[in-house]
Amino acid sequence: MAESTDLLQGTLDLLILQTLATGAVHGWGVAQRIQQVSNEVLQIGQGSLYPALHRLEYKGWIRSDWGSSENNRKAKFYSLTAAGRKQLAAELKMWDRLSAAVGLVLGRLPEVTG
Amino acid sequence: MSELWKRVFLVFSRRKPEELDDELRFHLEQSVERNAATGMTAQEARRQAMIEFGGVERTRERCYEQQPGWWWGTVIQDVRYALRGFRRNSVFTFAVIATLAVGIGATTAIFSVVDRILFRSLPYAHDTSLVSVGLTAPIIPEEFMLGGSYYEWRDNQKPFDALTSETGVNDCDLTERNPAHLSCASVEQNFLSTLGIVPILGRNFLPEEDLPKSPKVALISYGIWLTHYGLDPGVLNRPIDIDGVQVRVIGVLPKDFEMPALEQADIVVPQALDESQQRKAEPGRVMYAFARLKPGITSEQAQAELQPVFNYSLNLAPPQFRKEVHLRVRSIRDRQTHDVRLAAWVLLGAVLAVLLIACANVTSLLMARAAQRERELAVRSVLGASRARLVRQRLTEMFLLSMAGAAAGLMLAEILLRLFIALAPTGIPFLEHAHLDLRIVLFSMIVSVLCGALFGVLPALQRPSAVALAARTANSGARAVARRCLVIGQIAVSMVLLAGAALLTRSFSSIEHQNMGMETRGVLSTRVALPQYRYATTQQRMEFYLKAEAALRGLPGVSAVGMSNWLPPAETHESQIFNNISVAGKPRSTDGTGGMVTWRWVTPDYFKALNIPIVRGQGFTEDERRSNEHYLVVSSLLATRLFGEADPIGQHLQPVPQGPWYTVVGVAANVKNGGLSAADEPEFYRLRRSIAEDWTPWNAIVLKTSLAPSAVTPWVRAQIAQIDPTLPIDVETLSESVGKLTDRPRFETALLGFFAFCGLLMAVIGLYGVIAFVATQRTQEIGVRMALGATRFNVLRLIAGEGLRLIAVGGVLGLGAALAASQMLKSLLFNVGPYDPLSYAAVALLLVLVALIATLIPARAAMKIEPVVALRYE
Repeated sequence: MAESTDLLQGTLDLLILQTLATGAVHGWGVAQRIQQVSNEVLQIGQGSLYPALHRLEYKGWIRSDWGSSENNRKAKFYSLTAAGRKQLAAELKMWDRLSAAVGLVLGRLPEVTG
Repeated sequence: MSELWKRVFLVFSRRKPEELDDELRFHLEQSVERNAATGMTAQEARRQAMIEFGGVERTRERCYEQQPGWWWGTVIQDVRYALRGFRRNSVFTFAVIATLAVGIGATTAIFSVVDRILFRSLPYAHDTSLVSVGLTAPIIPEEFMLGGSYYEWRDNQKPFDALTSETGVNDCDLTERNPAHLSCASVEQNFLSTLGIVPILGRNFLPEEDLPKSPKVALISYGIWLTHYGLDPGVLNRPIDIDGVQVRVIGVLPKDFEMPALEQADIVVPQALDESQQRKAEPGRVMYAFARLKPGITSEQAQAELQPVFNYSLNLAPPQFRKEVHLRVRSIRDRQTHDVRLAAWVLLGAVLAVLLIACANVTSLLMARAAQRERELAVRSVLGASRARLVRQRLTEMFLLSMAGAAAGLMLAEILLRLFIALAPTGIPFLEHAHLDLRIVLFSMIVSVLCGALFGVLPALQRPSAVALAARTANSGARAVARRCLVIGQIAVSMVLLAGAALLTRSFSSIEHQNMGMETRGVLSTRVALPQYRYATTQQRMEFYLKAEAALRGLPGVSAVGMSNWLPPAETHESQIFNNISVAGKPRSTDGTGGMVTWRWVTPDYFKALNIPIVRGQGFTEDERRSNEHYLVVSSLLATRLFGEADPIGQHLQPVPQGPWYTVVGVAANVKNGGLSAADEPEFYRLRRSIAEDWTPWNAIVLKTSLAPSAVTPWVRAQIAQIDPTLPIDVETLSESVGKLTDRPRFETALLGFFAFCGLLMAVIGLYGVIAFVATQRTQEIGVRMALGATRFNVLRLIAGEGLRLIAVGGVLGLGAALAASQMLKSLLFNVGPYDPLSYAAVALLLVLVALIATLIPARAAMKIEPVVALRYE
């Protein structure tokens, strides 16, 4: 099952921050967006999604507001804070370095240079 | 800044749980809608969504866990929960805390005392490699050296880096504007450097200052520097007057300075012996030698390596005495504490036994509680508490209990320690410096907490069984067995403690009630310290004492005034080798030393004052006192040894070879003369005539009075003040000074008794706990039995039988252990064997009685159960 694709530690946070970079989204939307963008590979269960959203909120990187959804239901929308934007930039840089390094070790991207 | 505020706010704000529920519901409904959009029926769409969604509760939990400070919140929750539980089970809580407090408190207090005696490091830089070395012979109890062989040893010994000596501590007087009576120690020049002592001011002695004719120098103690010179560094190189002689101060000793044999020393001076004269002397000056071992050499090796020089000394000794001369090398600590070490170890053992019982009690109590709570744990587990959470809950409880126990224990330890110091007799080394040792507090706390925690937490580690949820009676059979074993152990250990206490008590009472051979009631003893510089000659001393004697005789109610240099039964007295005594007309025995003979100088009324019966002949007379002849009274023991059945009266004795000959005029009954617990020594009395040469420095006056001692005491002081108003006088009743000799055994007995009592109390509480627990657990069974026709007596027998078995097994085990352990006490016992049947019988009886009561209380309660109630129980 695709769901068994374990996310690297801390990767979920990055995915959420990236998803929220384009604007406010509710929890369901975040999960759907990640699923679509990853071509159905990454399925985020509510069991990990909501604790992650809460964690990020407590850290002050995202904030939540109640609003109404596309189908006019009460939903909680999450959006990036200024700190979150900074954090996203830092984590993206970190991710690039990490994936390049892992790639090098695995011999997948021989010509990658700084 | 605003970010920070937000976070602070978040920590304190409690999120409403409905918000999260709304959010999750929204998620679920979106999922249902999506499924419906793919064409499922409404019901199927919801079902699939639910399956995909999974457990909500877990998500909710994990969301809460994200909150900063969540962990601390749960700790507070645990603490609150634990405190609530404690309040509900206040007896349990109190029992655990009290047990911990007694265990921790007693262990800490005793260990703080014993630590100084057994494990203290010496205040010398070379602490661990220092030994006391010398010869032992009957005449001096501790190892000593003689000038005749010391220098031979120093030049030829191999095992030591350095060897040094001291010639003891003498009274000396500081005769300056602020005169004081002090103690002066005489040491070899390398004394400080061998031990590793560095003066805090000034310098050590130079070799040339330790020569007989060299100018006098001295090191002063920190105490003298403080009290007499106000810590003035200008004291260096200043001349001070000691016994009327000018001595230059060359340094100040460190604050913690002490002589290796623990004598008081205010001033240290070079011993300034004439080495070449000592080498030739026979036997030479008595001295005490200390040495620093070479690295890697043990005392035993040193002893072996010293054999050649020891043989040299042996050859100097009179041939008939050689068998009784031995070589001894032992650590300085051993020398300092040898006579209290055994008592210290016994106390330590006793207190560890109490700690053991306390641990067993805590464990047993926690196990009982764990059994009670099995149900509760199972319920909490089913309701979703993780195992980690359950264990943490237990740990929190243990932590709280042990903290409370430790706090109470610390207070108890402080109180006990102060009590010990207040009650303790003088002569227990270092006691006045004892203080609570935090390491020990920590140690005893950890021990008791560990054993408690182990058994308290273990049950929580197992997955709570389904049985526990359903069980009407708890399924704690295995644990009940363990608790029974603990109780057996407790009973056995307290049996050992009780037996030890009983033996010491018996021994103490036989010390107190023994026949001393003299009257101590209505006798006052007076000691006057005559300062050396004003009473320098024997003539002056004699005149003073004769005047005092005459004055005291005139007091009303005083029937006899006698004098002697030392008073029995204390161990301090003159003594000499038995075989040195010659009897006129008989050859001297050459078979060894024959042991020691006590002797003292007395005046005629000494026997009357102490009511010592003269069994043959007569005591000394006033006429004999004025004559130039030498007269002697011997004790019955000495008379028998010297003359057998023959009549000693009129015989002639020469106590010391080349000394004067004495005429025996009487035989006195035996008097306790070697301390209270040692065997009597043979003794003779020399008449202290009114001739100056008989008046050695030490003298005590004894008065027999028919009045109350408190009334006579001021008169005695007044009479002596009339002769010389500046003299310090000690007056006490002889019963008081004898009482002081029993202080040590009384203290030891009281301490061991106290621990035995604590141990017994805890063991009994443990026993009670187990029986009560078993009785409650079997309530239903009892109900069934009674319904089937068992009588109340049968029930009583059922429950009490359980207790009796534990008592019997524990008692028998304890008796065996006590018999083995009492061997250790042997040398502390007086007139009581380690297997004294009376003590053991009394202890066994006491233990069984108390334990029976502890068993019968819960058993009676079980007996009174109404069958109907019992059947409905739980």
